[in-house]
Amino acid sequence: MASSDTAASTTAGTASSERPEVSRPSSVSRGRREGGGAAPWLFMAPYLVLFLGFVIAPAIYGLYISLRAYDYLLPNKPFVGLDNYQKLFDSESTTYSDFWNSMQATGIFTLFSVPLLLTIPLLVALLMNSKFKGRNLFRALYFAPYVLGVAVVAVLWRFLLDSNIGLINQYLGGLGLPDGIPWLTSVPEAWVALVGVTVWWTLGFNAVIYLAGLQDIPGELYEAAKVDGANKWQSFRNVTLPGLRPVLAFVTMITIIASANMFGQSYLMTKGAPGIETRTAIYYIADTGLRNSQMGDAAAMSYVLTVILIVLSVGVFWLFRERKD
Amino acid sequence: MATTTVRPPAPPTPSTAPDRRRPAKRGSLVRYIGLIVLALLFISPLLFMLVTSFKTRVEAAGAPPTWIPQEPTFQAYDAILNAADTPVLKWFANSMIAASANALIVVTTAALAAYPLARMDFRGKKIVFGAIIATLFVPPVILIIPNYLIVGELQWLDTLTAVIVPTAASAFGVFFLRQFFLSLPRELEEAALLDGANRWQIFARVILPLSKPALVTLAVLAFLTNWNDFLWPVYVLFSPEVQTLPAGLSTLQSANNVRYDLLMAGAVIASLPVLLLYIVAQRFIIEGVSRSGLKG
Amino acid sequence: MTENTTPTGGFSRRRFLELGAGTAAVAGLAACGGGKSADDAAGADPTGEFSAGYDGPEIELSYWNGFTGGDGPFMKQMVADFMKDNPKIKVKSNTVEWAQYYQRMPAAVTAGKGPDVGVMHLDQLATNAARKVIVPVDDLAEAIGLAQDDFTEDVWTAGIYQDARYGIPLDVHSLGMYYNTESFEKAGVSEAPADAAALTDALDKLKSAGNANPFWMPSRWPAHLMFLSVLWQNGGEPYATDGATATFDSDAGVSALTWMVEVINKGYSPKNVAQDSQYVAFKNKQVDVTWDGIWQINDLKAADMPFALAPVPVVGESSAVWANSHNFYITRQASQDENKLQAAKVFIDALSKKSGDWAQAGMVPARKSVRESAAVKDTTQAPIAAQIDDMRFLPPVPGLGDVQAQTLEIAVADAILGKSQPADALKSAASKATQLMGENLKKYEA
Repeated sequence: MASSDTAASTTAGTASSERPEVSRPSSVSRGRREGGGAAPWLFMAPYLVLFLGFVIAPAIYGLYISLRAYDYLLPNKPFVGLDNYQKLFDSESTTYSDFWNSMQATGIFTLFSVPLLLTIPLLVALLMNSKFKGRNLFRALYFAPYVLGVAVVAVLWRFLLDSNIGLINQYLGGLGLPDGIPWLTSVPEAWVALVGVTVWWTLGFNAVIYLAGLQDIPGELYEAAKVDGANKWQSFRNVTLPGLRPVLAFVTMITIIASANMFGQSYLMTKGAPGIETRTAIYYIADTGLRNSQMGDAAAMSYVLTVILIVLSVGVFWLFRERKD
Repeated sequence: MATTTVRPPAPPTPSTAPDRRRPAKRGSLVRYIGLIVLALLFISPLLFMLVTSFKTRVEAAGAPPTWIPQEPTFQAYDAILNAADTPVLKWFANSMIAASANALIVVTTAALAAYPLARMDFRGKKIVFGAIIATLFVPPVILIIPNYLIVGELQWLDTLTAVIVPTAASAFGVFFLRQFFLSLPRELEEAALLDGANRWQIFARVILPLSKPALVTLAVLAFLTNWNDFLWPVYVLFSPEVQTLPAGLSTLQSANNVRYDLLMAGAVIASLPVLLLYIVAQRFIIEGVSRSGLKG
Repeated sequence: MTENTTPTGGFSRRRFLELGAGTAAVAGLAACGGGKSADDAAGADPTGEFSAGYDGPEIELSYWNGFTGGDGPFMKQMVADFMKDNPKIKVKSNTVEWAQYYQRMPAAVTAGKGPDVGVMHLDQLATNAARKVIVPVDDLAEAIGLAQDDFTEDVWTAGIYQDARYGIPLDVHSLGMYYNTESFEKAGVSEAPADAAALTDALDKLKSAGNANPFWMPSRWPAHLMFLSVLWQNGGEPYATDGATATFDSDAGVSALTWMVEVINKGYSPKNVAQDSQYVAFKNKQVDVTWDGIWQINDLKAADMPFALAPVPVVGESSAVWANSHNFYITRQASQDENKLQAAKVFIDALSKKSGDWAQAGMVPARKSVRESAAVKDTTQAPIAAQIDDMRFLPPVPGLGDVQAQTLEIAVADAILGKSQPADALKSAASKATQLMGENLKKYEA
């Protein structure tokens, strides 16, 4: 997309410089002549139907559900006001400790996975950032796990991390290290396992995006830096990082969102084990709402989680905006 | 996109002078070692998965693990492929259908919606655009429960429609394509307008052809997102014939807790078609993904 | 109430009202509202010889169960045999692993895409009855001649919720103690230990014979079942039968959990036993003694290792063991179509008669008459079958399964992993459980 963008802007540049200045009819450039009336709404209609039906309506419906003791398998769904929310902040209630435990699990996972998912793929991308034989093969290889999908990856790693017969422990034992590490049934080992597997799974995805970003940085900037006597680290700091800023922002956003929404790895690998320590917020909400059908509680929890995530997203957004001047 | 704008410091060709060659070669040797080690980290688990799928029931769960099966057998594949309640190939087909359909709807609706938001003026534009952007920050978790009920009311539970339609309204798609449309030069549209074309014709014949890279990117992202979606299908699809791969594999795992031979065979069956597709289309896919971070 | 044997034509479909409501007659049978009493007489033969024929049009019956392990093939065979005998009924089976089953089945039935007939565990009947997912089957029970004296009292009463019977028992299955016969011989253990002292003695001998950890204590499944067994052996009860309080933190409970933790502390078991790994290790002959369900019998036979099954030793004061029972049920979905309902009843009747075949899957037939037949006497689980009077079941309280998963299971895991003392873990879990049970009572009262 970078190439077409620059191409577009160049043609626009040359075109406008060659064409004599003609006062364009305002209606054409504003599109008002053709753009008013029904046309825009007709264009947007298919999207809006889906949007209203499956995004806006459920968001409101969710609020409605959260104000009731809602079990969809029972006929009565009595209104309980803000009870479900209050329970989440009342340490004596039945949902308080499980909910905040699950939030903590999400927090721990996000805290540990995001930095690794931001830096390791960058290193890999840097390593691949030049033309050499086999580069496309390596790139394709690192990306492959992402294509396999979370289910295949989690099922495979649950096997490899089995504390008794799994490959990892067998090899650790062979190297003289402890060979009975309970990767999936004890914390903090389970966190190492979950973060590690997630990195293995999505490293290629982030690396590919980074690589594109790196290749978008004009070579001249590096040449200029070299002329100025910059060494590799300095040119990295002063040319690469600034050049990557928009890509960094993008990758950070999607990685944080993906980590905060982690479900599959927990569900398939640890099932929340040892007790409930690795049960993430999303997992707990889905369990509460869809397994135990306590939908009122689950809806309230999801709103609380949403508020926290929105604050986080806006924070990250602001962080990246500020430096960009 | 594959063309690099950064030239490597020195091309490692044997014809260059020796003193220029040596540092380049050392650098690229280190690079190759690093990349190969990493590649091994990626290949070996997959290789072990393949190898285990050919083991007997006992050997698969035995210790120490073997890289070459002592009595290679197809029994695990037999069991899985013949079991009516684990139709792995059907799951793969379902995933393909769902992800493709979903990607199609995402791209179509997003492109159609992004165009007026980029190029037309109308009352309510700000509100609509604002609402769409606002939902970018809203995590999908608040939609799970209510959408589950809505999908139940619509009688879509246990059908592929449930994994295709509800997630097809992509705020990111609209945002992304709008950015792209904004960056297109207006001259072509204006020329077409002067020629008397209506909005639809401009959209279909001018904008869309110019937007191929962006459309492809969005399609690839939507496809991969739907392909990888796990939580939603696990809860809305329950019959084996309708399940998608992630949901089906999770069933396979819970049902065969310690039958690692079966699990690995199932995982291999689930992976092979994807990998084949990937080998064929990987440049396409990877380039689509890599564009998503740029100017976006 | 009309007695009408032609399923179609002049008979308009009527909606079946669920528990506590009125009745409607269909194809000669009545779906009862309350009580296993007179109202079901319409058409049903009270002497108990169920005219188990299906004479309606061809029909498809959706049948869900959770038999994914070694018992799966046996159920499949029984279904296949049934279809051969009843060509007009096509049974469409869906096997959903139990952990997902209890979420999916009610959701599916509510969405109209669930089973017509199925199997579920005894301790889930009350929950699904309260949610009106399944309908009472008193008439069927009476028609096929299920009588209280053909069952143990526990099995009989646990299938009744609010005075209506919701399940037709197929089998009972409990925990048992599996041991490696070769290891026992080598270590000089002559017979399966029957009490705590004998168990300790056997474990000591196994340790001297070279196995540092002969008996692994799991923290998750089936740890809480082991706990319940010893709790009952100690004379305690986990829950009050009125469904309002949890009582597993009594002295009986604390002593049970303490015993389990002691197994680790005394060195018979390693710490941090991963889920299911004690069972895999037993199959791999690394472990000599393990407690697990009798449903594992066929899997162990396939693993081709020298094992035997004995009743769980009496660690406490008297013999008791946790047990559960698979029960057939009919959903409200099926009850709305008279043909489906009839086909479902025929199906259940036929399969419950085959519980002798089912014994091959390692289960213990629920009906005494079958249990005492030759079919069962020679099976591996025969010693367990003999202990049927010691089997204990959870009381029929709606929502109890979820409560237990959120409280007792966690407490047991925490104590075994050493994260908290048994008494503390049980106390806080019990108070939370009581809270949840109170909430459930309110919820299901409506």
